Amino acid sequence: MTEDVVIRVEDVQRITESALAYLDLNDLLTELLDRVTDILAADTAAVLLVEEGGRTLAARAAKGLEEEVERGFRLPIGRGFAGRVAFIREPVVIEDLDRSEIQPVNPLFREKGVRSLLGVPLVVEGEVIGVLHVGSLTPREFHERDIELLQVVADRVALSIERSRLMVQGQIAETLQRSLLPRTLPRVPGLRMAARYLPAADETAVGGDWYDVIELRQHRIGFVIGDVAGHGMAAATYMGQLRSAVRAYALDTERPSEVITKLAEFADRMHSRMATVIYATLNLNTWEVRFARAGHPYPLLLHADGTSQFLTDTGGPPLGTVGGATYEEESVNLMAGESLLLYTDGLIERRGHKLVEGEAHLTEVASSAPDEPELKCQAITSELTEDISIADDIAVLVVQTVGLHELLEVEVPAEPGQLATARHLIRRWVEANEGTDDDCAAFAIAVSEACANSIEHAYGPGDAMIELRAALVDGMATVSIRDRGQWREPRGGNRGRGIPIMSEFMDDVSIDSSTRGTTVDLQRRLREGS
Amino acid sequence: MPELARLSLESQGDIELARVAGEVDASNVADLSQRLLAAVPNGARALVLDLSDTSYIDSSGISLIFDAAARLRNRNQELRLVVTPHSFVGEVLGAVSMERSVAIDAALDDALRAVGDSDPREPEAG
Repeated sequence: MTEDVVIRVEDVQRITESALAYLDLNDLLTELLDRVTDILAADTAAVLLVEEGGRTLAARAAKGLEEEVERGFRLPIGRGFAGRVAFIREPVVIEDLDRSEIQPVNPLFREKGVRSLLGVPLVVEGEVIGVLHVGSLTPREFHERDIELLQVVADRVALSIERSRLMVQGQIAETLQRSLLPRTLPRVPGLRMAARYLPAADETAVGGDWYDVIELRQHRIGFVIGDVAGHGMAAATYMGQLRSAVRAYALDTERPSEVITKLAEFADRMHSRMATVIYATLNLNTWEVRFARAGHPYPLLLHADGTSQFLTDTGGPPLGTVGGATYEEESVNLMAGESLLLYTDGLIERRGHKLVEGEAHLTEVASSAPDEPELKCQAITSELTEDISIADDIAVLVVQTVGLHELLEVEVPAEPGQLATARHLIRRWVEANEGTDDDCAAFAIAVSEACANSIEHAYGPGDAMIELRAALVDGMATVSIRDRGQWREPRGGNRGRGIPIMSEFMDDVSIDSSTRGTTVDLQRRLREGS
Repeated sequence: MPELARLSLESQGDIELARVAGEVDASNVADLSQRLLAAVPNGARALVLDLSDTSYIDSSGISLIFDAAARLRNRNQELRLVVTPHSFVGEVLGAVSMERSVAIDAALDDALRAVGDSDPREPEAG
């Protein structure tokens, strides 16, 4: 082994050592330019990058020629020294600038007295992205090994720059992605919801998954989960367009099948990438869920007893794959304490495993996970991503109906539009506790009247809540309706009929009003006389 | 459409017939009241409000009926209700003694016949 070769191996190691990977791009370039000038006994070094549009080079980092960067030096590709390197995509050597046929554009070479130059292209996947050059203040020769060493540095620099660009784009994509997801989920009486978005561990793989919750008219609420193929800015941007389109169609169109059919037409016209999506609506007065599915993984219905089933009856092709596709919808009536789990494929797809294995694993984990939706979401995402780095984004949305055990506690927004939902909830609760139809009707009107009083008398406009608490003790059902406002005197001749109506249907009505709010306690023995 | 309540209107000679199907509460009562009163022309003798298909009514709906009865009375027009006996709506109306202020019939035919029998130009006996 010659001495020359030994030195070269050490030199290459100084350039490629892995510790450099932890530096940010500016520090890395500074460090590499320092080392390469040292190894090649050069006086100057510079990195120029091809600008957007591909016609010009701009100085990005320099040593000995720092003003080049400060002055924002740029030159057209094909002209001057660096322009020539980028143009012919091969190393260029100038042994003496004074006698060279290549006339540099950069006045700094003359100002600084640079005499000899060696430049190599920065290449990523066959594309020239810039130029790295070193210079000497005295005329010198550059040997083949100098050129090779500089090319090693150039490859290293090119990779780092590309990586950094992807990272930045990935970070922007993730920021965009997160800005398009709901910051909080709406509070809906009788429902508990939780959601998670986990970006891919590799920042360059972020983008495209989303979930959404849409408050609709007529006691309904809409749920969306979707996944745009691909990653990065383009996927995140298209996701944003699809998200807005679903929202617009959902407000305009009642049937999920029509919403998805319209969305598919929208996607056809966008000529963009493939995407999968589920749109579901839930009627708060019946707990009927209707949904349509475009190529998306099946929703999982989790029963209160821990068993579960995938809802597989209908489905159509992913968006953007079959022109003019139409979609059917299916429906399921949720029982008390049931959960609907919507998720993206990142949750169940594992390299080297079949999809059915992923589905089976999800079923198993979801069934044994805690009931409370936040905890359930947490358990599902953490158990299914254990031992792996998250290769793809994951979005999960859990929608759960309240359990109607002996004790029911819910909050209802103080708005007239919520009265029907309050009646639905209390009917369900009385039913679940084996009350008769008369019991259901009696509590429905008494609770609705008490809530209406709170809405009318206790609060001004705003997002105030009414607490509803129902308990059954030895066959006696007690429902408390509590607000935090102060009741005003009934106004108008026809007002104030609510309390006699409550009394008519209940065994006992008591109203406790203080400065901190009003609590109405309604009591009725269930199945009296049955 | 899962509207809470559906109102259908029909004229039978000089009697206006309004059917309310579904639920009446504070969220839809203002809208119903407006459409109901707009539907009764000055020339009509009576409004028959059919609540046979009304599954739920609360105090706001009761107020609507009292208001409508008072307005029609001022115009010498009659209001009659159709309510299925022993129904939930019947019970609510009973709780506020509606029958003392507004005539209630068990079936639509009874109500239409009763309007025909009475003379609307005579002031109400009370």
